[in-house]
Amino acid sequence: MLEIAVGIILGCCALGAGTAMIAGIGPGIGEGNAVAKACEAIGRQPESKGDVTSTMLMGCAIAETTGLYALVVAILLLFVAPGIFIDILISTIG
Amino acid sequence: MAKVDATVIKETKYISGFVIILSVLMQAVFLILNKWDYTVLLGNLFSDFFAVGNFYLMGLFVQKALGKEQDEAKKIIKASQQLRTLGMFVAIAVGVLVPCFNIISVVAPVFFPRIAISFRPLFKDKNSKDVIDK
Repeated sequence: MLEIAVGIILGCCALGAGTAMIAGIGPGIGEGNAVAKACEAIGRQPESKGDVTSTMLMGCAIAETTGLYALVVAILLLFVAPGIFIDILISTIG
Repeated sequence: MAKVDATVIKETKYISGFVIILSVLMQAVFLILNKWDYTVLLGNLFSDFFAVGNFYLMGLFVQKALGKEQDEAKKIIKASQQLRTLGMFVAIAVGVLVPCFNIISVVAPVFFPRIAISFRPLFKDKNSKDVIDK
Protein backbone atom coordinates (compact mmCIF):
# COMPACT_ATOMS: atom_id res chain seq x y z
CA MET A 1 0.00 0.00 0.00
CA LEU A 2 2.84 2.34 0.91
CA GLU A 3 4.51 1.64 -2.43
CA ILE A 4 1.33 2.64 -4.28
CA ALA A 5 1.06 5.86 -2.26
CA VAL A 6 4.72 6.71 -2.97
CA GLY A 7 4.17 5.93 -6.64
CA ILE A 8 1.14 8.23 -6.77
CA ILE A 9 3.14 11.01 -5.09
CA LEU A 10 6.03 10.65 -7.55
CA GLY A 11 3.68 10.43 -10.52
CA CYS A 12 1.71 13.52 -9.48
CA CYS A 13 4.93 15.49 -8.90
CA ALA A 14 6.21 14.55 -12.36
CA LEU A 15 2.83 15.40 -13.88
CA GLY A 16 2.84 18.77 -12.10
CA ALA A 17 6.37 19.51 -13.30
CA GLY A 18 5.42 18.68 -16.87
CA THR A 19 2.32 20.83 -16.67
CA ALA A 20 4.31 23.73 -15.22
CA MET A 21 6.72 23.59 -18.13
CA ILE A 22 3.89 24.39 -20.56
CA ALA A 23 4.62 27.97 -19.49
CA GLY A 24 8.06 27.55 -21.05
CA ILE A 25 6.55 27.64 -24.55
CA GLY A 26 5.26 31.21 -24.31
CA PRO A 27 8.53 33.12 -23.79
CA GLY A 28 10.11 31.55 -26.89
CA ILE A 29 7.22 32.63 -29.10
CA GLY A 30 7.04 36.09 -27.49
CA GLU A 31 10.77 36.75 -27.74
CA GLY A 32 10.76 35.55 -31.33
CA ASN A 33 7.99 37.99 -32.25
CA ALA A 34 9.68 40.86 -30.40
CA VAL A 35 12.99 40.29 -32.17
CA ALA A 36 11.28 39.95 -35.56
CA LYS A 37 9.56 43.31 -35.05
CA ALA A 38 12.84 44.83 -33.83
CA CYS A 39 14.50 43.67 -37.07
CA GLU A 40 11.74 45.46 -38.96
CA ALA A 41 12.17 48.63 -36.85
CA ILE A 42 15.95 48.65 -37.33
CA GLY A 43 15.44 48.12 -41.06
CA ARG A 44 13.28 51.26 -41.15
CA GLN A 45 15.48 53.34 -38.80
CA PRO A 46 19.03 51.99 -38.72
CA GLU A 47 20.24 54.92 -36.56
CA SER A 48 18.08 53.71 -33.63
CA LYS A 49 19.72 50.28 -33.50
CA GLY A 50 21.32 50.83 -30.06
CA ASP A 51 18.12 51.96 -28.38
CA VAL A 52 16.01 49.25 -30.00
CA THR A 53 18.53 46.55 -28.99
CA SER A 54 18.72 47.84 -25.43
CA THR A 55 14.94 48.03 -24.99
CA MET A 56 14.45 44.67 -26.63
CA LEU A 57 17.07 42.96 -24.47
CA MET A 58 15.25 44.15 -21.36
CA GLY A 59 11.90 43.06 -22.84
CA CYS A 60 13.26 39.63 -23.71
CA ALA A 61 14.69 39.22 -20.20
CA ILE A 62 11.31 40.10 -18.67
CA ALA A 63 9.51 37.69 -21.01
CA GLU A 64 11.96 34.98 -20.12
CA THR A 65 11.32 35.33 -16.39
CA THR A 66 7.92 33.67 -16.85
CA GLY A 67 9.66 30.63 -18.26
CA LEU A 68 12.16 30.68 -15.41
CA TYR A 69 9.34 30.72 -12.82
CA ALA A 70 7.92 27.62 -14.47
CA LEU A 71 11.36 26.04 -14.62
CA VAL A 72 12.01 26.60 -10.92
CA VAL A 73 8.55 25.25 -9.99
CA ALA A 74 9.19 22.18 -12.15
CA ILE A 75 12.63 21.56 -10.62
CA LEU A 76 11.29 21.92 -7.09
CA LEU A 77 8.43 19.54 -7.91
CA LEU A 78 10.83 17.01 -9.40
CA PHE A 79 13.67 17.09 -6.90
CA VAL A 80 12.49 18.65 -3.63
CA ALA A 81 8.72 18.07 -3.25
CA PRO A 82 8.71 14.23 -3.47
CA GLY A 83 11.02 13.95 -0.45
CA ILE A 84 8.88 16.32 1.61
CA PHE A 85 5.60 14.61 0.63
CA ILE A 86 6.99 11.13 1.33
CA ASP A 87 8.24 12.31 4.75
CA ILE A 88 4.75 13.66 5.51
CA LEU A 89 3.20 10.37 4.36
CA ILE A 90 5.52 8.27 6.51
CA SER A 91 5.05 10.48 9.57
CA THR A 92 1.26 10.33 9.09
CA ILE A 93 1.26 6.54 8.85
CA GLY A 94 3.60 6.37 11.80
CA MET B 1 33.93 35.16 -33.92
CA ALA B 2 31.78 38.29 -34.37
CA LYS B 3 32.45 41.33 -32.18
CA VAL B 4 30.12 41.68 -29.24
CA ASP B 5 27.78 44.69 -29.53
CA ALA B 6 28.49 47.57 -27.12
CA THR B 7 24.81 47.57 -26.01
CA VAL B 8 25.02 43.92 -24.99
CA ILE B 9 28.18 44.56 -22.96
CA LYS B 10 26.67 47.67 -21.34
CA GLU B 11 23.44 45.91 -20.32
CA THR B 12 25.31 42.82 -19.11
CA LYS B 13 27.53 45.04 -16.95
CA TYR B 14 24.45 46.72 -15.47
CA ILE B 15 22.79 43.35 -14.77
CA SER B 16 26.02 41.93 -13.27
CA GLY B 17 26.39 44.93 -10.98
CA PHE B 18 22.83 44.70 -9.76
CA VAL B 19 23.07 40.91 -9.30
CA ILE B 20 26.17 41.40 -7.12
CA ILE B 21 24.39 44.04 -5.01
CA LEU B 22 21.33 41.82 -4.56
CA SER B 23 23.55 38.83 -3.73
CA VAL B 24 25.27 40.80 -0.99
CA LEU B 25 21.83 41.77 0.34
CA MET B 26 20.75 38.13 0.30
CA GLN B 27 23.89 37.09 2.19
CA ALA B 28 23.14 39.82 4.73
CA VAL B 29 19.59 38.51 5.18
CA PHE B 30 20.93 34.99 5.77
CA LEU B 31 23.44 36.39 8.29
CA ILE B 32 20.73 38.34 10.13
CA LEU B 33 18.52 35.24 10.30
CA ASN B 34 21.51 33.21 11.63
CA LYS B 35 21.14 30.75 8.72
CA TRP B 36 24.39 31.62 6.98
CA ASP B 37 26.97 28.95 6.22
CA TYR B 38 29.36 28.24 3.36
CA THR B 39 26.62 26.48 1.31
CA VAL B 40 24.74 29.79 1.04
CA LEU B 41 27.80 31.54 -0.39
CA LEU B 42 28.62 28.68 -2.78
CA GLY B 43 25.03 28.38 -4.01
CA ASN B 44 24.84 32.13 -4.51
CA LEU B 45 28.08 32.28 -6.54
CA PHE B 46 27.03 29.25 -8.61
CA SER B 47 23.60 30.69 -9.43
CA ASP B 48 24.89 34.24 -10.05
CA PHE B 49 27.23 32.91 -12.72
CA PHE B 50 24.39 31.18 -14.57
CA ALA B 51 21.93 34.08 -14.16
CA VAL B 52 24.35 36.59 -15.69
CA GLY B 53 25.58 34.04 -18.25
CA ASN B 54 21.99 33.41 -19.36
CA PHE B 55 21.44 37.14 -19.90
CA TYR B 56 24.73 37.53 -21.77
CA LEU B 57 23.95 34.57 -24.03
CA MET B 58 20.52 36.03 -24.73
CA GLY B 59 22.21 39.29 -25.73
CA LEU B 60 24.57 37.46 -28.06
CA PHE B 61 21.73 35.56 -29.73
CA VAL B 62 19.66 38.77 -30.06
CA GLN B 63 22.67 40.49 -31.66
CA LYS B 64 23.03 37.58 -34.05
CA ALA B 65 19.31 37.59 -34.88
CA LEU B 66 19.14 41.33 -35.56
CA GLY B 67 21.18 41.02 -38.73
CA LYS B 68 18.84 38.42 -40.24
CA GLU B 69 15.45 38.34 -41.93
CA GLN B 70 12.36 38.38 -39.69
CA ASP B 71 11.51 34.68 -39.99
CA GLU B 72 15.10 33.59 -39.48
CA ALA B 73 15.41 35.92 -36.47
CA LYS B 74 12.29 34.34 -34.94
CA LYS B 75 13.75 30.85 -35.39
CA ILE B 76 17.12 31.84 -33.91
CA ILE B 77 15.52 33.37 -30.81
CA LYS B 78 13.14 30.43 -30.28
CA ALA B 79 16.03 27.98 -30.57
CA SER B 80 18.23 30.05 -28.25
CA GLN B 81 15.44 30.31 -25.67
CA GLN B 82 14.99 26.54 -25.64
CA LEU B 83 18.73 25.97 -25.39
CA ARG B 84 19.17 28.46 -22.56
CA THR B 85 16.16 27.06 -20.69
CA LEU B 86 17.68 23.59 -20.96
CA GLY B 87 21.00 24.94 -19.71
CA MET B 88 19.31 26.66 -16.79
CA PHE B 89 17.39 23.44 -15.99
CA VAL B 90 20.65 21.50 -15.76
CA ALA B 91 22.33 24.26 -13.73
CA ILE B 92 19.47 24.67 -11.21
CA ALA B 93 18.99 20.89 -10.96
CA VAL B 94 22.69 20.48 -10.12
CA GLY B 95 22.40 23.33 -7.61
CA VAL B 96 19.36 21.74 -5.95
CA LEU B 97 20.74 18.18 -5.91
CA VAL B 98 24.34 18.79 -4.82
CA PRO B 99 24.37 19.12 -1.02
CA CYS B 100 27.14 21.74 -0.92
CA PHE B 101 24.68 24.33 -2.27
CA ASN B 102 21.82 25.88 -0.29
CA ILE B 103 18.58 25.47 -2.29
CA ILE B 104 17.25 28.98 -1.56
CA SER B 105 20.54 30.63 -2.44
CA VAL B 106 20.58 28.69 -5.73
CA VAL B 107 16.99 29.48 -6.73
CA ALA B 108 16.70 33.15 -5.68
CA PRO B 109 19.53 34.66 -7.82
CA VAL B 110 17.89 33.29 -10.98
CA PHE B 111 15.32 36.08 -10.59
CA PHE B 112 17.82 38.86 -9.77
CA PRO B 113 18.13 40.04 -13.41
CA ARG B 114 14.33 40.54 -13.44
CA ILE B 115 14.57 42.69 -10.30
CA ALA B 116 17.46 44.62 -11.87
CA ILE B 117 15.31 45.38 -14.93
CA SER B 118 12.50 46.64 -12.68
CA PHE B 119 14.91 49.27 -11.34
CA ARG B 120 16.24 50.09 -14.82
CA PRO B 121 14.15 53.27 -15.38
CA LEU B 122 15.81 54.85 -12.31
CA PHE B 123 19.28 54.49 -13.87
CA LYS B 124 18.30 55.10 -17.48
CA ASP B 125 20.72 57.29 -19.42
CA LYS B 126 19.01 60.61 -20.22
CA ASN B 127 20.96 60.95 -23.48
CA SER B 128 19.44 57.76 -24.89
CA LYS B 129 15.95 59.15 -24.14
CA ASP B 130 16.78 62.26 -26.14
CA VAL B 131 17.72 60.15 -29.13
CA ILE B 132 14.37 58.35 -28.97
CA ASP B 133 12.49 61.66 -28.64
CA LYS B 134 14.20 63.02 -31.76
